[in-house]
Amino acid sequence: MEEKYFEISAENLKKFVERIIADNFEVIAPIDKDGDTFYGKISRFEEANLDILLPKMSYKEYLLPKTETLFEYSFSGVNADIKDGLEAVAGANQKRVIFGGRPCDAGAGPIMEKVFNWDYKDEFFNERFKNLTIVSIACEKPDNYCFCTEMQLSPESSYGSDILLKKAGTQYFAVVTSEKGLNLINPYMNFFKETTKAQVPADKDWKKIFEIERTKSFLDKNFEHNYFQDRFLSCIGCGVCTYTCPTCHCFDIQDEGNLKEGRRIRNWDSCQFGIFTLHTSGHNPRVTQGDRYRQRLMHKFKIYSEKFDKYLCVGCGRCSRNCPEDIDIKEVAKDLADMA
Amino acid sequence: MANTKTDEKLQKIAKDLLESGEVSLIIGYTKGSNPYRMRPLFITKAEEAGKLSFSSHAVQDLAVFLKKPEVKKFGKIGIIVKGCDEKAVNALIQEYQVSRDNIKIIGVECNGVIKQNLADKCETNVSESTVYDKCLICEEHIPVIYDFLAESEEPKLVLSGNVKPYSGIEKLESMSAEEKNAFWAQEFDKCIKCYACRQACPLCYCSRCIVEKNMPQWIDTNSEETGNAQWNLIRAYHLSGRCIGCGECERACPVNIPLMLINEKMAKDVYNMFGYKSGLDINAKPVFGVFSESDFNDFIK
Repeated sequence: MEEKYFEISAENLKKFVERIIADNFEVIAPIDKDGDTFYGKISRFEEANLDILLPKMSYKEYLLPKTETLFEYSFSGVNADIKDGLEAVAGANQKRVIFGGRPCDAGAGPIMEKVFNWDYKDEFFNERFKNLTIVSIACEKPDNYCFCTEMQLSPESSYGSDILLKKAGTQYFAVVTSEKGLNLINPYMNFFKETTKAQVPADKDWKKIFEIERTKSFLDKNFEHNYFQDRFLSCIGCGVCTYTCPTCHCFDIQDEGNLKEGRRIRNWDSCQFGIFTLHTSGHNPRVTQGDRYRQRLMHKFKIYSEKFDKYLCVGCGRCSRNCPEDIDIKEVAKDLADMA
Repeated sequence: MANTKTDEKLQKIAKDLLESGEVSLIIGYTKGSNPYRMRPLFITKAEEAGKLSFSSHAVQDLAVFLKKPEVKKFGKIGIIVKGCDEKAVNALIQEYQVSRDNIKIIGVECNGVIKQNLADKCETNVSESTVYDKCLICEEHIPVIYDFLAESEEPKLVLSGNVKPYSGIEKLESMSAEEKNAFWAQEFDKCIKCYACRQACPLCYCSRCIVEKNMPQWIDTNSEETGNAQWNLIRAYHLSGRCIGCGECERACPVNIPLMLINEKMAKDVYNMFGYKSGLDINAKPVFGVFSESDFNDFIK
């Protein structure tokens, strides 16, 4: 769809959100909770914290839940009854709107879509993704952990957003990039005023502090470099970086149940866990935490881009902010670029 | 930022230990990714000692690294520890995970560390409302055991008593079983099973955790009601009588589950029932590793 542009006052934006809530949309926005900010359902516009740069966790769980039932089974006598988990997912997210996320989080969806549609079409992911409407707000002040610009996005990028809101004084400009976005606002057009691209403030000239291609070129040639073992001696091997990451998508298939009934599920999994690559023989090809963090870097900045033409990172910086041992991936990616 | 006298002393101790060959690795702190963060530092050469530093942002419990195979292979290790962290070293010695002969304990006097979520909002003031609850009940501002000590020049933590540490425990104790269940069900619902609590814990050192044992699968793998409750409860039990209260599990938790309410409650109960506090005496036998005739249960007598 060709992009469309609208103006909306701050007052009308509030009214629009309250109207869609009243019309039974489930609006997920950054909300203050437990001393931090997380994505959660709002019942009034005021509950949304739109000043926060980024909630602590991404909204990945609305595309890839931390546990998803693939199918359930039960036996009565010799008859097996199998229930497809997809039935429960059908229409998921149809009336769900992520409101007030940032361009980095929005960018994660289409990047992950590639791996979920590569050789096998993952119907669970696709069903959730096609229905989810994403209304993001452009960032005015990225922090020192942000590096979306280095990751080929920008604080004002509309990639992956159905609607991108850009603040200008007391009003917003809405850049509508998809049918889904247009469908969301269509019934409420009285709040919006169509305008032209020329009226929308131009993107600022966001500066990069390193070139991600150089990071990749270091990774291309230095698999055995000492940097990985030395730098990641401080990695404790928790899954915080991968689980708070909007693009990390590894999962583990498990069966739960007994001879009578049970289910097959998939759970989030992390390359930072030692057991992730443990072979049945007892051999583990990734022995140290250096090996495992290197894998994360390789997957994000080398392997994924070679296969799917996109880096598996949107530069949100969550893995750095949330790392208990203060490993800063932006600093690491820059170090590697500097060594290339 | 310039070196403080504490920094200089830490650097001198580390330099001497590495130069004399008494240790082959020093684990300490250095400045982190912003002025309000510190991070772990590993040094093997005396000339790197100048990077060592300490401040009220040194939140990490470095004893966690003593369980890492990559660190163990260094053999003799010097480690910089706050009073709380040092208790973890003691507990590891008690449980035969670390040999006292292989470790040089470089204690640092600590007057409290600032909660990380506040530090991330640029908090620099050490006060009873900015430090962790563990600091409010701390009796080991100077570590129980040390080979070397770097004193602090910072003012002592002043307690007015207005902030009640671990106040949630009393609230929980006054709840009915159903209310407690509801409280924890809500908290565990947030769990994403990233196992940061386990990995950040210096005493969770099993090379293969019970959740990773899958022949048979003891703990449900799902991250829903059953799996999350089983995981969090089993960890609480495995830490009872062992947890030294460094609070790293709660700090590392990305979804803010108040894990220290469980651990402190268990520690409190163990103290009330067995008169035992973990990590204070390297010659004491772990409380659940021994039977004593003075134990209150008489079923075994």
